Amino acid sequence: MGTDKVGTHPAADLTNCDREPIHIPGAIQPHGVLLVLREPSLTICQASENTQDLLGVAVKDLLGQSLEKLLPPEQVASTRESLLSDRLEDNNPLKLSIQQGSGGSRQFDGIAHRHQGRLFLELEPSTEQKDLPFFGFYHQARGAMSRLRDAKDLHALCMEAASEVRRLTGFDRVIIYRFDADWNGQVLAEDRMEDADPYLGLHFPASDIPRQARELYLLNLLRLIPAVDYVPARMVALPEEAQGGPLDMSFCVLRSVSPVHMEYLRNMGAGSSMSISLLKEGKLWGLISCTHISGSRYLPYEVRTACEFVGQFMSSFLPTKEGYENYDQRIRAKSIQGRLLERMTRGLDFAAQLCQSPPELLELTGAAGAAVYFNGRTTVLGKAPSDEQLQGLFRWLASRPVSQDIFATNCLLKEYPESEEFKDVAAGLIAASMSRGRHNYVLWFRPEVVQTVEWGGNPNKPVDVQDDQPRLHPRKSFALWQETVRGKSLPWEDYELEGAEDLRRSIIDIVLERSEELLKLNTELERSNVELDSFAYAASHDLKEPLRGIHNYASLVLREDAAALQPTSRTRMDTVVRLTQRMESLINSLLHYAQVGRMELSLRETDLNEVLASVLELLKPRLEEAQAEVRIPAPLPPARCDRVRMMEAFTNLITNAIKYNDKDKRWVEIGSRQEPELGTVYYVRDNGIGIKPEYHDAIFRIFKRLHGRDKYGGGTGTGLTIVKRLIERHNGRLWLESTPGEGTTFFFTLGGETAPPATVRPPALEDLR
Amino acid sequence: MNSGLPILVVEDNDEDFDMLQMTFHSVAIPNPLYRCSEGEEALEFLGQTGRYADTQAAPRPGLILLDLNLAGLDGRQVLEHVKRDRHLKSIPVLVFSTSGNPKDVQSAYDHGASGYLLKPVDLPRFERMIRLFKEFWLDHIVMPEDDGREVSRG
Repeated sequence: MGTDKVGTHPAADLTNCDREPIHIPGAIQPHGVLLVLREPSLTICQASENTQDLLGVAVKDLLGQSLEKLLPPEQVASTRESLLSDRLEDNNPLKLSIQQGSGGSRQFDGIAHRHQGRLFLELEPSTEQKDLPFFGFYHQARGAMSRLRDAKDLHALCMEAASEVRRLTGFDRVIIYRFDADWNGQVLAEDRMEDADPYLGLHFPASDIPRQARELYLLNLLRLIPAVDYVPARMVALPEEAQGGPLDMSFCVLRSVSPVHMEYLRNMGAGSSMSISLLKEGKLWGLISCTHISGSRYLPYEVRTACEFVGQFMSSFLPTKEGYENYDQRIRAKSIQGRLLERMTRGLDFAAQLCQSPPELLELTGAAGAAVYFNGRTTVLGKAPSDEQLQGLFRWLASRPVSQDIFATNCLLKEYPESEEFKDVAAGLIAASMSRGRHNYVLWFRPEVVQTVEWGGNPNKPVDVQDDQPRLHPRKSFALWQETVRGKSLPWEDYELEGAEDLRRSIIDIVLERSEELLKLNTELERSNVELDSFAYAASHDLKEPLRGIHNYASLVLREDAAALQPTSRTRMDTVVRLTQRMESLINSLLHYAQVGRMELSLRETDLNEVLASVLELLKPRLEEAQAEVRIPAPLPPARCDRVRMMEAFTNLITNAIKYNDKDKRWVEIGSRQEPELGTVYYVRDNGIGIKPEYHDAIFRIFKRLHGRDKYGGGTGTGLTIVKRLIERHNGRLWLESTPGEGTTFFFTLGGETAPPATVRPPALEDLR
Repeated sequence: MNSGLPILVVEDNDEDFDMLQMTFHSVAIPNPLYRCSEGEEALEFLGQTGRYADTQAAPRPGLILLDLNLAGLDGRQVLEHVKRDRHLKSIPVLVFSTSGNPKDVQSAYDHGASGYLLKPVDLPRFERMIRLFKEFWLDHIVMPEDDGREVSRG
């Protein structure tokens, strides 16, 4: 709280505001007269000291007299009846002709009420407008009502009410002001003359309208201060009146205003002001606040009534329109929710999907930043604390004794003081926890409100300064309010929290569904693996058995009866034997291929030069036979791989290089190079026959052969398929470049780390039977 | 040396058994050869129960050649059964199979097989294998004397 000395009034210290007994000021505003009457005689037992000015009778002469003395005979009976009735306020305003001491009479609006057993009668001089046409008002009011009723949401309702009240009253500025949970205020709508400072969007600290003032706003729905620089007219009472205690003027329209408030209005540059209370569910929701900067402004009773009516009418719409405001937001949240859900199911990594643009994750809760922390990985969107700060925050969240599903605060500092250093991005936090124990979270951040809220109007306009003292002015108030909300973010609305809660549930559903899907896939995979396994082995066994039979019997026939056979028959028997051998090698290749996919790799940092040397040693006879030259321009860098499998890969590639080669001088080159994207790329290059581009994919298909069986030494067509599978098992890639007729280069990378197999190892065969 | 020992062949494939018999003959293996074509039958033979209740029809073999893939009770179970039976476990069992599955090989030795032979699709190789089998198992290997019953008494 500031303790600025305000204006010139020494007692007007803001810290006193909450204690000032503003309902018993002992004085009124002098534009009317207040009389307190004793029933049923209507004796005037208290009166304001300004009776001389308005009624032409000195107050001392009036006290102890009956009101009837002031009325013309023809008004006495009806006035008595009105004032003494139980529902006297229904008759307001009484149109009274008060006999002036000078002989003439003057028209007054009489406004009567009872409070604490006292009968109050306030007299305001009727304006020149004489009889305001009732129908004019009626039509105006009716138009206003339908416009308010048809407002599509809260914002429209506020705009409509502000302009309606301005039209009715002619005040220079009308604002709609709403209280938050802490009684800070915010200007939601404004209708003003052009020269008036804009207040739209300004926030005011709760101290601007102290508690007891708010209570009076509940009692009195409309307060008018026609001239802020009035001199209060004190109340004067008959001696015996004093025993009744101070006069409680809570319901008096003329009640004198607290000096602090007057100062405030003067500092605002207001010559006159009026406020109309807005209630929701019996509580003060806000105010329609009018100020006049071009001097004083008096409004006759009828106009005030019309304004009060607008206020009440607006109040009656608040629940629906405000609900509707949120309803709109909720509908929006639901559609965002739907889109986020659709996104999450789009890819495997739901966190990455959530954090992609457009930032709907932020829109969902009206946050400026978010972080998704899932299985130890953090993905960030918008304005968020640094990674280190996030880690600390996660640790703190995890350590909280009660882990709620949703934890929300608009002042994280209070709960987690370490957040001081990043309150500029995370003064407010929603943390949705998605799993017990594992600490997976979605976090939403909101910056300090001070950095969120815009000034109304020109932020660069300096605060008014008078006598080197900053004057209390809405801007000053705004600054003061900013001080009170340091370290706080705007509060999270219900529908925003609901959005977070809904998303949390969706994520849990999706993650659950995912893991179930994975489990199912795994089970399927396992089963198909097992089936493949048993198929491969059963096939090998069951196919080989008859094959062996055919082979053996054909061999026996050839051995024992070759001489007796016709040459053609012998050729045919030879063919049968050869076919059985080829069939066997096909079966063996297939079996081997099936194994490669699932064998355990033993990954170690391996010297590939040594691997290559072993391979070349093994291939020596074939290399010599083909008279092929082996070129190794530079030693190969080491790799994390399975030595035995790499031998197999090199063997296959080098064998192919010399096999599919029709040059006189065959050569094969083995080397490596570094590539920025891929890291180390190994290659096996030859000057062989080359492979046409249309076959670049096909050659990797199992049993796919590009050449006749008996050309280039034959083969089953599984070699490259197996090499590709081996490389892929190493998390690497295999591809080729080739110019037909000139040669082929096979490239491969070795990821080193194999991806964790998504499969569970198939059970031992004995479990399958 | 071990020429008197009966050899039990557990083999469901007639052609394979036919080849085996022929090759035994051609490499001059004198041992009496018995054949069971199913797992259950082998157990009856070894236990001298069921259709082999007559000991004459089912002498205790000195060596078993066992195919793994049998209809019904398969070779692995026969092997386990033999090696669990204290009267039978001293009989050397040679697995004689088409399957080169490392798991099969591993489990055969785990369960006490004395050797694992792969049936080749190649007649000359097959003949060489049987010749070596004869030299090793029938001419050089020292076999246990009794059927294990004496040992169990001691």
